[in-house]
Amino acid sequence: MTPHDKTAPSQSDSIAFDFDLPHPPAKVWRALTDPELLSQWLLPTIGVELAPGATFAFHAPPQPGWDGVVQCRFVEIEAERTLRYTWVVGELDTVVTFTLTPTTTGTHLELTQSGFREDQKRNFGGARYGWRMMGDRLVELLGRIA
Amino acid sequence: MSKTAAAENRIFHALADPSRRAIFESLTRGEAAVKELTAKFDISQPAVSQHLATLRAAGLVRGRKAGRSVYYRVDPEGLKPLTDWIQHYRAFWTERIDRLEGLLERMDP
Repeated sequence: MTPHDKTAPSQSDSIAFDFDLPHPPAKVWRALTDPELLSQWLLPTIGVELAPGATFAFHAPPQPGWDGVVQCRFVEIEAERTLRYTWVVGELDTVVTFTLTPTTTGTHLELTQSGFREDQKRNFGGARYGWRMMGDRLVELLGRIA
Repeated sequence: MSKTAAAENRIFHALADPSRRAIFESLTRGEAAVKELTAKFDISQPAVSQHLATLRAAGLVRGRKAGRSVYYRVDPEGLKPLTDWIQHYRAFWTERIDRLEGLLERMDP
């Protein structure tokens, strides 16, 4: 099944996908949260403990100028429904959110990656700035200067 | 996601400040001189000049001298590192979702 990229070409303030999976939410949830399973489809993990506020890391292959580490912190965990964690690479703070909805054939999964909003920054001391702070206006700005 | 990290950081730093963001947004509507921006935003001229210097260092705006004034406008290429970054992650997640679907097929029910 081909994931449907919901992000319009001109929409540049977030990355969003949604797609239907022929598997029940409990199984999808396992793939999203089990460290061993995560390493099989996303990236190798270090120190995943499924608890709000808990920190962990993904380890991608290092590249010049980047040690390959993605620093993460669980923001929201609602079993089989919502999983949200910060995704910090260097100075860049973003948030990845998985939203699961049961369907008659399995699970509807939405995946978004976006920057911190200003109101979120206060809750996470490590966040210095984020690109979402430009809000939805980034789209408009890009259109205007193109 | 590494090569352009320094450029991205300059962009995010430049746009993290609400005043600079307001100035940048204003310039997306058209060219303006320091004097006009000072009047519009109720910020001192040295402060406006400093903000413009930061935006220029980040590659977000360009200056053009005309007589005694310098006119600033948005550099359309300035946000490219940001849009590149987004393209990178769109490709990343597309590939990872494919892998997730494959894994789900192999997993126990």
